[in-house]
Amino acid sequence: MHRVEPITILRFLTNHFDAVKDLYECQCNEGSIRKEVFQEIVKRHGAEITNQFFDYKILKQNGEDYEFRKSYYDFLEFILVEFRPILPESIEKYYSVINDLFRKIKQGSHEDKMILQARIAELAEQIREFLEQVEKNTLRLLSESRELKANADKIDYRQKLHKASFWIDYYILPLNKILDVNNHHSIAYKLAEVAEYVNQKRLVFPDERIRQRFEKLYYLLVQVNDDLIRNSKILTNELLPLIERIRTESTILSGWIDFLKNPFRIETPAMLKENMFTAYSKDMYYHTKEFFEQFEIQDDVILEDENVELEKWIYNKAAYKEKLLAQLPVENFFEWIMNELKHEFGTTDTDKLFTLACLVFEEDLKVEFQEAEQYIITNQAQFKVPKIKIQNYGLPE
Amino acid sequence: MVYPSNHRTIVEDLMKGKFLLSSEKAFTTLKKNEEFYRQFFEASFGLELRMSGEYAYLLSSVTNETLSKSISIFFAILCYELDRDGKNFMDQLQYNEFDLETIERYFENTSYIDLVKATKTLEDTEKRKTLIETMRRRNIVERTGDDRFVFTPAYKVFTDFALELAQKKRAERELKEAEKQINIWQEED
Repeated sequence: MHRVEPITILRFLTNHFDAVKDLYECQCNEGSIRKEVFQEIVKRHGAEITNQFFDYKILKQNGEDYEFRKSYYDFLEFILVEFRPILPESIEKYYSVINDLFRKIKQGSHEDKMILQARIAELAEQIREFLEQVEKNTLRLLSESRELKANADKIDYRQKLHKASFWIDYYILPLNKILDVNNHHSIAYKLAEVAEYVNQKRLVFPDERIRQRFEKLYYLLVQVNDDLIRNSKILTNELLPLIERIRTESTILSGWIDFLKNPFRIETPAMLKENMFTAYSKDMYYHTKEFFEQFEIQDDVILEDENVELEKWIYNKAAYKEKLLAQLPVENFFEWIMNELKHEFGTTDTDKLFTLACLVFEEDLKVEFQEAEQYIITNQAQFKVPKIKIQNYGLPE
Repeated sequence: MVYPSNHRTIVEDLMKGKFLLSSEKAFTTLKKNEEFYRQFFEASFGLELRMSGEYAYLLSSVTNETLSKSISIFFAILCYELDRDGKNFMDQLQYNEFDLETIERYFENTSYIDLVKATKTLEDTEKRKTLIETMRRRNIVERTGDDRFVFTPAYKVFTDFALELAQKKRAERELKEAEKQINIWQEED
């Protein structure tokens, strides 16, 4: 099999990038590229390029389907900045790898120098990989959150709530834990421990070549530490508040929708009732409106037939007038009414008092208002009334 | 006795049912003398002072239910419509300037139109304008132009209410689910 020139492969990728990108997106969505889909994409881009994908070892067969070889997949992922979200559980594995290598470096520092160098190099490699995974995940999470916030697909609040909770619970919080330098079981804490050890060794290790290896590892760790802090800050300062806000917003909306199902049955926030205001206040118009509006939303009123028999009183004006005339002159008209009512009904009812008081307007009575005032008390109220003297026309006092 | 500065503003504004906002001088005085005012309102008027970092307001046992209900429905529909419009309503309430025309468009075209028409304080343009004016007097909105306004942080009283309601409903649903599960287990036993 002949070796293809790298520049030929790169030129192929450049010339047919649209087809490559479509195939990459297909694999991202479906997990692999079905044969028919592959043929359809290649046909759509109108070129005879099927063989090159396999000759250049860009694609490989996987059962009936095709898929990108890992190197190309990673490369495309990197240049398209479209990283798959990596489960924090996968990143967590670096803890044991780094821990094992670190333990072996410590324990075997007096063993063969070759193996020590190899372990230091491998530790550096693992740390680089770990950092890359963290950075990829942070970038992906950031783009997911921003997409969710922009809500270009107009997904409904339930899906939004679900997605926000999903990213927080399964990705952001666990990743944050991995980067928490105060957590003794985190990778960040382990790296700090490694950095401390490496810092000493780069100065005191007897072999110069190994010292240089430690020195390189130390600077890598310093750089990684800065990058982890930056990523951690993105997570805690930007990503978490952003996505937490989306989650809160969706929860609030679900609360509003619950409320709107039956707004008049649910108790709303208490608000102070204004009860003192003046007629000349500049807000009087709105006070009045607000006051009347409180009667506009009314609960259902159920009217029931009252079975209580009401006492019926038929006012016989002529009879009362006759009584009054018979007793003239009356020195105190209201006192006379009260006595009449007490005598007849045993009680003094305001309605009856008003009815009888109308006798004062009878034309054949001579009414004399006196200056003195008095209080009379009925069953319902107290009244301040004038003293009225009544006599017949032409009759001497 | 020497009262703190802005005492009269604090008492008058709060007694009018207004939200005192952190952007106001009187709020700083109130915050500094929080305990004094808490006791003052309780002893003098039997009112409870509620304070957050952004606003303060008074509460009594007698509340203006109609106003509270109208404002809650107003926010509920506005948030719902903003979300339907593809907007983040929390950002909108916090940072956006609204105009009456936009509000009208949302309320006239909402799928909750039956509820809008059944709520006397929201049923037409004029009533909605009055409600917004009432909210202005209570410091829930601030006017920025003839027909333009922004919401003050006091809107959070209502969004917090919705948040608590959702959490309560979720807890109820979870409890129901748990009870259902227990019943299934008991039946299986």
